[in-house]
Amino acid sequence: MKKPEIDISIDKDGQVRIKVHGVSGEECLKLTDAIREIVGIEVSRQLTTEYYGTPGGVRIDAQVQQRN
Amino acid sequence: MSTVCVLAPVVVGSWPVISAAIFGAAAGMGFATVEAHEAGSDVRAESSIDIDVPNSEVISDEIGHGQSIVIERDGVRAEFTHDDRGGCRICMTGRASKRELERIGQELAGRVVQQFAYHKLMSELKQRRFSVVDEKVGADQSIQVRVRLS
Repeated sequence: MKKPEIDISIDKDGQVRIKVHGVSGEECLKLTDAIREIVGIEVSRQLTTEYYGTPGGVRIDAQVQQRN
Repeated sequence: MSTVCVLAPVVVGSWPVISAAIFGAAAGMGFATVEAHEAGSDVRAESSIDIDVPNSEVISDEIGHGQSIVIERDGVRAEFTHDDRGGCRICMTGRASKRELERIGQELAGRVVQQFAYHKLMSELKQRRFSVVDEKVGADQSIQVRVRLS
């Protein structure tokens, strides 16, 4: 099983960017929250496709239109 | 990747801990530490400006009370102090325009935050069983680290 990895980039102005790899869902959020507790204030957060499940999965968005 | 998060560090620590970040930032930017009684020998103050280190709080203790750190580079002096309210402040003076002093002071403040965040993260992640897989300094002076849960 792949172990979780975190890419951390600390800019020269001190801002910290983290990218969590190898885990999805709640585990991913737990790791992100743990880093936030160490560092300080959350400025922004983005969830990517891997967060929602297995990488390579297909997501279908559909719209239903009502006919009169 | 599954989450991308941007964080602004909170710099809270005792004076010795914050001093370590100041010395790291100074060395990285080519500043030399000078003794308080030597400070200003080569620096003729044409302008001065105060810069706050963002989100900083020096936890008061007897060791650091009333102390300051003075660093110099190319006729520019930066004095780091902390007041009774706890914030860490940089007083920039020297042979440069106010705008230039502000630019250098902001960069110094940023690098102090960077050093503080780096050392805090590395120390805490080690305790949480993370190990460093890769580490480098980018061309833009960012510190890039990849850690893995052991």
